[in-house]
Amino acid sequence: MAQTIMVIDDSASLRQVVSMALKGAGYEVLQAGDGQAALALLDGRKIHMAVCDVNMPRMNGIEFVRAARALPNYKFLPVLMLTTETQESKKAEGKAAGAKAWMVKPFSPASLLNAVSKLCLP
Amino acid sequence: MTKSVAQVQPGLQNALALVDLSEQVLPVWERQLVSSCQHSEEAVRQMLAAFDELGPHLDLAVRQSRDITAALAQSEGGMTQLAQACDAVLQPVLSGCTPEAVEAIHRVIAMITACVDALENIAKPFARETQIVSLQVDRMYEGFQYQDRISQMLTSLHQDMNRLQQALRQSDTSVNATKWLERLAATYVMTEQHQQHDDTQGAVVDDGTTFF
Repeated sequence: MAQTIMVIDDSASLRQVVSMALKGAGYEVLQAGDGQAALALLDGRKIHMAVCDVNMPRMNGIEFVRAARALPNYKFLPVLMLTTETQESKKAEGKAAGAKAWMVKPFSPASLLNAVSKLCLP
Repeated sequence: MTKSVAQVQPGLQNALALVDLSEQVLPVWERQLVSSCQHSEEAVRQMLAAFDELGPHLDLAVRQSRDITAALAQSEGGMTQLAQACDAVLQPVLSGCTPEAVEAIHRVIAMITACVDALENIAKPFARETQIVSLQVDRMYEGFQYQDRISQMLTSLHQDMNRLQQALRQSDTSVNATKWLERLAATYVMTEQHQQHDDTQGAVVDDGTTFF
């Protein structure tokens, strides 16, 4: 069965780009427009990984990582932060929250798929 | 040196006229900016939708190209070996054939060889073309993502215009240009935004992946 990856970004076009790259490689994709909408999808279903933007309305990516890790079922959910944010302090904040990697947009499909294959739960 | 009332008056009038102009023109700029942003997002959305439709067809072409190349390259039972295989099968019986039959068999083998060569000549550029298409597809994936950057930069401008309008409406006397610019710069998320703000040129190093 295909692994499921949650794509969280407030930009619809960016969600579409990431989803296309992941679906093309055989992953199933769940989409959410911000951290809060993503959190609502963490209802016990199996999710193998999340690819998450940082700057989003309502709940940003770093807040989402903290909130997800507080849920017993998703404590070990690997999260790749995919962002235009380049500040080292933000990156450190993401690491402290529990994110597993930080990738700066624009990304190449190959680099995204490489990171996903390294981080995705079996 | 103290300015006279006569000197100050036109300056004040100019300043008031500029405030009035700003109050009127800023909402216009703001609406145009928001509209441009929406158009740009819609353009990318539509291109992506079309691209999404193309995806399966491109994948099929890539798979077919790989299948053809593999079928041709097989050492046993492959198309490339077909002419040699026919030759090997027919060789033992050629000695018992009439010269006309031998000639006919050689002509048939030559035709098979020509067909296989033609197939190879078709398949090789096909494989190269699909490789080029795949590379261009990757470039398009990257290109589409610039919309996200544009959107963030325009949103930042939009928010700052909004702030300026509020300051003008409230006749905020505490407005300080240095502080204003510092606050604006603090909202940036990209190196590129800082470079544009400071009007400095530098290599944009916004790339790469860091694993924690």
